Amino acid sequence: MNEVKEDIRSYVLQEFLPGESPSNLQDDTPLRTSGILSSVATLQLITFLEEHYKIEVEAHETGVENFDSVADIAAFVVRKKEGRS
Amino acid sequence: MLDLELTEDQRSLQNAAIEFARSRLECPDIARRDRDEEFHREGWRQCAEFGVLAMPVPETYGGLGHGPVDMIAAMEGLGYATRDQGLLFSINAHLWTNSIPILAYGTEEQKRKYLPRLSTGELIGANAASEPEAGSDIFSMRTRAERRGDCYVLNGAKTFVSNAPVAGLFVTYATINPSLGALGVTAFLVERDTPGLHVGRPMEKMGLRTSPMAEVVFDNCEIPLAQRLGREGRGVAVFESSMEWERGCILANCLGVMRRQLEECIGHVRARRQFGKPIGKFQSVANRIVDMKVRLETSRPMVYRIGRLKERNLPAMLEAAVAKLYVSDCYVKSCLDAIQIHGGYGYMTEQLIELELRNAVGSSLYSGTTEIQRNIIAAALRL
Ligand SMILES: Cc1cc2nc3c(=O)[nH]c(=O)nc-3n(C[C@H](O)[C@H](O)[C@H](O)COP(=O)(O)OP(=O)(O)OC[C@H]3O[C@@H](n4cnc5c(N)ncnc54)[C@H](O)[C@@H]3O)c2cc1C
Repeated sequence: MNEVKEDIRSYVLQEFLPGESPSNLQDDTPLRTSGILSSVATLQLITFLEEHYKIEVEAHETGVENFDSVADIAAFVVRKKEGRS
Repeated sequence: MLDLELTEDQRSLQNAAIEFARSRLECPDIARRDRDEEFHREGWRQCAEFGVLAMPVPETYGGLGHGPVDMIAAMEGLGYATRDQGLLFSINAHLWTNSIPILAYGTEEQKRKYLPRLSTGELIGANAASEPEAGSDIFSMRTRAERRGDCYVLNGAKTFVSNAPVAGLFVTYATINPSLGALGVTAFLVERDTPGLHVGRPMEKMGLRTSPMAEVVFDNCEIPLAQRLGREGRGVAVFESSMEWERGCILANCLGVMRRQLEECIGHVRARRQFGKPIGKFQSVANRIVDMKVRLETSRPMVYRIGRLKERNLPAMLEAAVAKLYVSDCYVKSCLDAIQIHGGYGYMTEQLIELELRNAVGSSLYSGTTEIQRNIIAAALRL
């Protein structure tokens, strides 16, 4: 789980928060509801996750319940990898 | 002058395109057709016969299997040799928003069903994305695609749909849920005779008037699941890939026009005499020609670079945005220079230079405006 969180955190920092101090992106920092990730940015992140973890994310799974924070996203990825989602 | 952009084969292809356009797309009545907004059906048929519509499609699906640089070379040649830029615009819309996305995202069945007919030109493709309230902010579209059993039901209105009055196939973007934003956008292949699809009134444009355009309305238009193009909620990928191609290849036509204009202007400033000498001897006139030359020489490598990246299957979003922003600006400026160099005659419709200016202005709007290209570049630079 921690490794997945780290991957997501570095991707978000690099792609969507350039110049931001990594300490400002906590596991529970809101990403979608705060506007850090637009829907286009979320799609880019999902494409990265699909390629990196060989998972497939359905359109109905892309809402804020799974994609609002590093912790939520990592938990979703782990569930997907384990075939539980 | 040695052309470093093209191989020998590509040069031959470009010359063949020039010869073809000179002999078959000759349009002495272009001023009238422009006035009447007349689509050149025979020209479309001739282009199909020459193979333009089949070029980027693999042989397996009835195409000729040419690569992107070949395509750009041919498009540059066509732009150079015909004044019917509206027809070329329609061809671009057809290829980059229909054939290419179907090739990239279509199922085997969709490819076999549509690509051969798109390649022969029997089927004309259109792109139904823009909406009255969703232009630059395209993914805020409201046209709904509601899943009902093994169908989607489309409801909504599209605008600025190039080729709509003559198209048989509409690559259409709709959302499964507007609150999902870009994550809800889904692409569909909608045939013209599908009940519930209505092509509205033709829209009259400033330029590219021989490329017909209309609004399209979907009113409880039922689309079988098998007509979805790509995954549900992944229409953005389909749209972005077609824009990347379109931005690169439409600009190739513009390069051709800029080259022809430069040659014509050089001929004019040598022949036209005022104050006892050719006007090209006046430095302020010569400077305009110099600027036109510099714009052409700096634009060309940008456009071919997109082709080279696409040939290697590399992303070209940034490069396409840089080229679109720069070349469309150069294109408009060169048309204005051409008018100024021709003096009062350049302003007369008979000279057809004002027609080219009207066509050129569209290039800063279609496939994403100049401002949107700047936003794409800024985002790619992580600003
Ligand atoms: C010749 C032609 C052919 C076309 N063919 C098609 C087609 O086949 N299919 C199709 O779906 N559409 C087509 N379009 C539509 C085209 O894609 C849109 O016109 C374009 O995307 C701009 O949208 P809009 O006209 O609604 O302008 P708006 O989005 O309302 O823009 C108005 C102005 O605001 C600026 N602006 C908007 N947002 C921003 C921002 N975030 N930052 C800075 N500036 C901004 C724009 O650059 C522009 O200057 C065509 C347009 C033209 C001119």
